[in-house]
Amino acid sequence: MNTAKKINLHPFTLLVFFFLSLFAGCEDNTLKKPDSINSGSQPQETARTMGEADREYIRELAREFAQEFRKEIGSSVGDVNADQPNKEKTFTEFSGLLDESGNPHPLLAHCSDAVLDFYLKHKDAFQISSINQLPKDLQWEDGSKENEFSSPDAKRGGTWKTFMSDFPRTLRTIGPDANGAFRRYLLDYNGVGLVMTHPNSDGYYPGLAERWALGEDGRTVYFQLDGDARYSDGQPVRASDFFFTFYFMRSKHLQAPWYNDFYGKDKFLKITLFDENTLSITYHSAKPDLVERISIRSIPEHFYDELGGDYLKKYQWVQEPTTGPYVVRKEDIKKGQSVTLTRLSNWWADQKKFYRNRYNPDRIMVQVIRDPSKAFEVFLKGDLDMFSLSKTDYWYEKLPNDHELVSKGYLTKVTFFNQVPPPSYALRINSSKPPFDDLNIRIGFQHAMNFDLVLKKIFRGDFERMRTVADGYGKRSHPTLQARKFSVDLATKFFAKAGYRDRGKDGILINDAGKRLSVELLTGYKHLEDVLVVLREEAKKAGLDLKLKILESTAAFKTASEKNHQVVFSAFSSFVELFPRFWEPYHSDNAYSPSGKEKFTTDGSLRSDIVVKTSTNNFTQTAVLEIDQLIDQYRMEDSLKEITSLAHQLSKLIHDHAVYVPGWKKPWLRMGHWNWVAFPEDWGPSESRDYAEFQVFWIDEDKRLLIDDARKNGRKLDAQFGVRVYEKHRINF
Amino acid sequence: MRITLNPLTLRKLQRFRSLRRGYWSFILLLGAFLLSLCAELVVNKRALIVYYEGEYFFPSYGAQIPGDQFGLDYSYETNYRELKQIFHHRSEGNWLLLPPVPYDPYEMDYRETDSTGFSPPSLESRHLLGTDKTERDVLARLVYGFRITFAFALGYLFLTYLLAIVAGSVLGYFGGKIDMFGLRLVEVWSNVPFLYMVIILVSVMPGWWGLTWQISSLLLIMVLFSWTGMTYYVRSAVYKEKAKDYVAAAQVIGAGSGRIILRHLLPNVISTLVTFAPFTVAAAISSITALDFLGYGLPAPTPSWGELLKQGVNNLRIAPWIVSSAAGALVLTLTLVTFVGEAIREAFDPKKFSTYQ
Repeated sequence: MNTAKKINLHPFTLLVFFFLSLFAGCEDNTLKKPDSINSGSQPQETARTMGEADREYIRELAREFAQEFRKEIGSSVGDVNADQPNKEKTFTEFSGLLDESGNPHPLLAHCSDAVLDFYLKHKDAFQISSINQLPKDLQWEDGSKENEFSSPDAKRGGTWKTFMSDFPRTLRTIGPDANGAFRRYLLDYNGVGLVMTHPNSDGYYPGLAERWALGEDGRTVYFQLDGDARYSDGQPVRASDFFFTFYFMRSKHLQAPWYNDFYGKDKFLKITLFDENTLSITYHSAKPDLVERISIRSIPEHFYDELGGDYLKKYQWVQEPTTGPYVVRKEDIKKGQSVTLTRLSNWWADQKKFYRNRYNPDRIMVQVIRDPSKAFEVFLKGDLDMFSLSKTDYWYEKLPNDHELVSKGYLTKVTFFNQVPPPSYALRINSSKPPFDDLNIRIGFQHAMNFDLVLKKIFRGDFERMRTVADGYGKRSHPTLQARKFSVDLATKFFAKAGYRDRGKDGILINDAGKRLSVELLTGYKHLEDVLVVLREEAKKAGLDLKLKILESTAAFKTASEKNHQVVFSAFSSFVELFPRFWEPYHSDNAYSPSGKEKFTTDGSLRSDIVVKTSTNNFTQTAVLEIDQLIDQYRMEDSLKEITSLAHQLSKLIHDHAVYVPGWKKPWLRMGHWNWVAFPEDWGPSESRDYAEFQVFWIDEDKRLLIDDARKNGRKLDAQFGVRVYEKHRINF
Repeated sequence: MRITLNPLTLRKLQRFRSLRRGYWSFILLLGAFLLSLCAELVVNKRALIVYYEGEYFFPSYGAQIPGDQFGLDYSYETNYRELKQIFHHRSEGNWLLLPPVPYDPYEMDYRETDSTGFSPPSLESRHLLGTDKTERDVLARLVYGFRITFAFALGYLFLTYLLAIVAGSVLGYFGGKIDMFGLRLVEVWSNVPFLYMVIILVSVMPGWWGLTWQISSLLLIMVLFSWTGMTYYVRSAVYKEKAKDYVAAAQVIGAGSGRIILRHLLPNVISTLVTFAPFTVAAAISSITALDFLGYGLPAPTPSWGELLKQGVNNLRIAPWIVSSAAGALVLTLTLVTFVGEAIREAFDPKKFSTYQ
């Protein structure tokens, strides 16, 4: 009996241990430091939290003392913090990072030696000029023509209760494990960049910069910082913080190669400071959406005064001071359970246009609920305020329109037509793995995938079939291209061309060598298993055996980025931007080493001694010389017309290469919310990808009590909402 | 190894037979398992017999018959339910006989234009226990799931006992240092986290392995990390038996260790182990179901009870028939196994049959 019990409990108890140990792993960070760091000289981290608090306090004291001291003796040591009347003079006195006697420019007086050295080493990229050098004829823009997208009716206060499926492994926003679901609360919903893209138009609105201007060369943008901009620790945002952003983002201590590359010196050529509020950034090439690309965020230099090999460890559970309204207080981190964010009482942008009436809740409580269906039950109980109902079964079956909570006026179901490039749900075929190295097999495979049935039966016709590799980019998307249709005849025809002619005993095609046409389909989406099950059963009709391999999402992603898959079903969320990206997923440099043309022979085919490149997003291992050349051209191009034409050509070429089986897209977002949550009249900006992205909703705590009370008594409330459809931004396809 | 049924064992078996509840549970379980072994004849999308233009076909087993064989316009496997309608319609003297449940556990029955999953149980559509999310027949999945689960449990029983008996009798019989170190090894091994290993090993299992391979390797993994529990019992039982006179007698006659363990000790030890067997089976069934429930078990879309339970729990409100069928089947099976276990324990109760000296 004992054994029976013991084994019986095994999976569950161990699962608990498994998760516990995950968290233990978070606290006891054993990440490797970069080799080049002399870790021996780092201070030991005994009694870390205590030591850190003390140091922070001492630093603060020193700062205050220094300011007082400076005021008193009136010296021009030149900390921007200190309000000195003679500051302007010092700035105009000299340009360049150092003066004749080798002292740093006043704007950089606070920088540590390591940081200064970095700037000096890259003198071309980091420049200080005087305000007189600023071009006089700049056309400053400040977004004043744009409309606000929040509602003047918004009420401040209350707690927004939401959930995440896993406890964050870190509060860093960069570096290993930082790219988790919680980061959106620290960054996406919270951060303010130099200039923000307006979510309802093609224009921009001010962020850290109150005005901006495009330079003559088309590659440089000038910014004038908002003098009010502050970090959450009260420190002002300084122009030199944008210097520091590059120092920080290029640091190898971050262990974040994507950021190293994104902020690389081949992309951002130059950054120039003119005075404490004025700067310009120069990009490597002119782009139609330059302002958007160049609008980086500021990294608080004062916070990272020691950026070393212990970066990961030291900042694992500390939130970087933010320019946004929400902060995580130490006492609000409940390991394994929840993280709560608190709104700053004196946020600098509180009353500014485009920021007022947004970020309304006082607190954001993010609980860990691992199982989505459990989260849904919690939502129905009223312990979560909003819930995404994009999945068909949630919308139709689990919370039907005649559900008691809806009909009694407690809950509202919303369909909102938005305008964003859809996440690219698609099958990506690894063209380097047999049998997919044969184009006929790839085309046959495309015809063997019955997405129409999936759309009709599983998604009930609510979604549409995606057409190309780059849907949803307006004119940049190919106008006529269609995904290949399911057809047993066409599929078997192409498979036959590749030598798979006869059906075996089980109906699966075999070739002359007796090999079955069987491929492995990898995915990390457990919740979409039924889609794959339908595809698998339908593929059998075409004589194709699909073996499903459903892993944890991280494991699946790893397998695919190591290019160990045959076909992977995955989706990349698309950036809301003007034109699609082709380099990451389709350039040969992301498929094989060596880079460039060396990997091709003279006739354009691939050499045999090339090495597969891992950890890139080229899941299809596309390496076609013609595509490469077009992508190179596409990336260099600065005219929108040319970009459009190239995007069309590329879409067509990749379609012909048949490595991407387009899945589906949905033209709307669907969600449900309790009626104590309120939204603006239009519900939200057209570029909303989820209900919280632009933080325009508000929570009415009085109404929460009212609804709670009504639920207890079963009283019906005035159901003015129920089911709502917002079609303002609907596009007729 | 030959285990003769000595009078004592016969008496135990008789006693087991006289415990009616356990005995009938045993018969029922055995019957269900044997029946599930030929499930293709009862629950299958393929017809039992097709009579087409003067020829008889028996599609239940063997290679699939493409549609064009029966004058249909496709080259993939015949849809016999449709064929039946067509035969009926044309009335050319062709006919076919479908099994009582004309579905297999993998196929989606998307026939009506508006069916989008979760059809409730209905006699008319022959979905006796309704369908699941992708319109697969719940009963078909239950039956095939039972076959896999039960075979899995029996395999698990056999292998864990094999390992445990070998290790336990070696430790118990030789004792001393071998026991001392061996037992420590067993303890260390039993502390290797089982679920970790399953997760890791399942994720590295290559997809091109066939289903049988995947299931057997899952079985092996589970056995490897859970045989240790039984070792302790075997060891202590062997220890106890070893001290008895008959062993000493055998040694005096000059029997070797192997012979003593196999011929003399094991038959006596096994009788006590048999009482654990049904509970091990129950544990194996619930383990594999739990693993499937968590998503680390059998590869999709293999029919499995855990997967059904998961679907049922996720769709508790919309499709209560899934969870009730799956839970009902699980409870029923585990209850029967427990009844068998109880009966065996009572039948083998040492208080009744122990012999001293």
